[in-house]
Amino acid sequence: MTTEIKENGNQLIALFSGRLDTAAAVQTAEDVKPLLEAQNKEIILECEALDYISSSGLRIFLSIRKEAAAHGSKVIVRNINSNIRQVFVMTGFISLFEIE
Amino acid sequence: MDLHSELLLEEYDSQLPLIERLEKVVEATLKDALDRNGIQITAVETRIKTRDSLAGKLALKGSKYQSLSDITDILGARVITFYTDDVDRIAAMAEKLFDIDWENSVDKRRLHDTDSFGYNSLHYICRLPKTVIDDPELNAIRFELQLRTTLQHAWASINHDIGYKTGVEIPREYLRRINRLAGILEMADDEFSRIRTEITDYRRRVQQLVQNGQLSEVQLDGDTFRSYLRARPFEALNRRIAALNQAEIQEVPLDNYLGVFIALGCKTLGDIEQLKKKCEENAYILARHQLGNTDLDIISSSVGIQNICIVWILTQGGGKIGLTRLFNALNGENEHNSLLADMTYEQAKGLAFMK
Repeated sequence: MTTEIKENGNQLIALFSGRLDTAAAVQTAEDVKPLLEAQNKEIILECEALDYISSSGLRIFLSIRKEAAAHGSKVIVRNINSNIRQVFVMTGFISLFEIE
Repeated sequence: MDLHSELLLEEYDSQLPLIERLEKVVEATLKDALDRNGIQITAVETRIKTRDSLAGKLALKGSKYQSLSDITDILGARVITFYTDDVDRIAAMAEKLFDIDWENSVDKRRLHDTDSFGYNSLHYICRLPKTVIDDPELNAIRFELQLRTTLQHAWASINHDIGYKTGVEIPREYLRRINRLAGILEMADDEFSRIRTEITDYRRRVQQLVQNGQLSEVQLDGDTFRSYLRARPFEALNRRIAALNQAEIQEVPLDNYLGVFIALGCKTLGDIEQLKKKCEENAYILARHQLGNTDLDIISSSVGIQNICIVWILTQGGGKIGLTRLFNALNGENEHNSLLADMTYEQAKGLAFMK
């Protein structure tokens, strides 16, 4: 599991790749820290290469969303695969995020 | 300018730092009290009369004042309210907060004859009591507190602008037109207050009906739906679903389901309650089928209501198209919603309620 963060103008883009499961969650939580402090940014969680997400991964997404709201930033989840999309529906997270 | 007026201006210069200190205390005291009393207002304003303005006043009627302390509006504070009822509430608050010089205070709202309209504002001449700040110098200075509504403020500001800018006497016809507007704004203020009171009564009645379970008598709209949600009607289902995986429940707003229920044909809260009763068990079974073989231990509080809507649509024969409409309503229209609908349909199709 890798997480790369890029800046593009007013956007902060987190590129997730691999399986965001419980084992990977600790490192991923560390990797996304720059997103938590972003002020008035558009934060893109780019999931094209993300194969799987567990509850731990959902919690990381949730913490990004909470901090973003507190700092005037907006979060967009982009390009999730159909399995992850189904996880978002089953858990009700689909109504928590703007998904593209 | 005569010598007496010049002496008063010198007194003004020497007292200015003290008056500036008073201004800060008065403003902070008012804001704090408004906050504590939960009164929402448009603005709290304070101003210290400028030296030029004071000189102008003294030029007109300087002999009227023995000393600067006779001029009660060197410091002026103004609270501008949304509603006319709040002027009275804040007046009561100010009476407790400050020492009021009743002899010099005036309620201009009550000065008009039955057939006249114009400037409406409540003016209190106040002092800071020792209970607010124990400072003999500050306690001694009087200041003016004006209380008025936003509409009264608009009228007074425009009237002041028109009256003072032109520098010539305004013909009677124009004065009459300005004062006619004061009458209209007085009616508008009363109407806004009445509307607020009626809405508050309506909300209380709805909450009572929700508490009493008389939901079929409550028309479905934004207000009533929010009252319904405050009773947490989907909590029991969410807890059952969460118990499947010992999941934590993440609270999310459910207001966006109002449009969904209206689209599903609900006209009253009772219709939603009926729909919930019919679908609750199968909504749980759907969640059990979806989540039971996963280790997902976090869900949002929208799961229960979402699954109820899914089950209702499927049991009414809405199929994939109905589910796509649901996801469009919840997530905004996008190309992924039909895919979601397909996946949800495939998951549900083997369940007993689909037979």
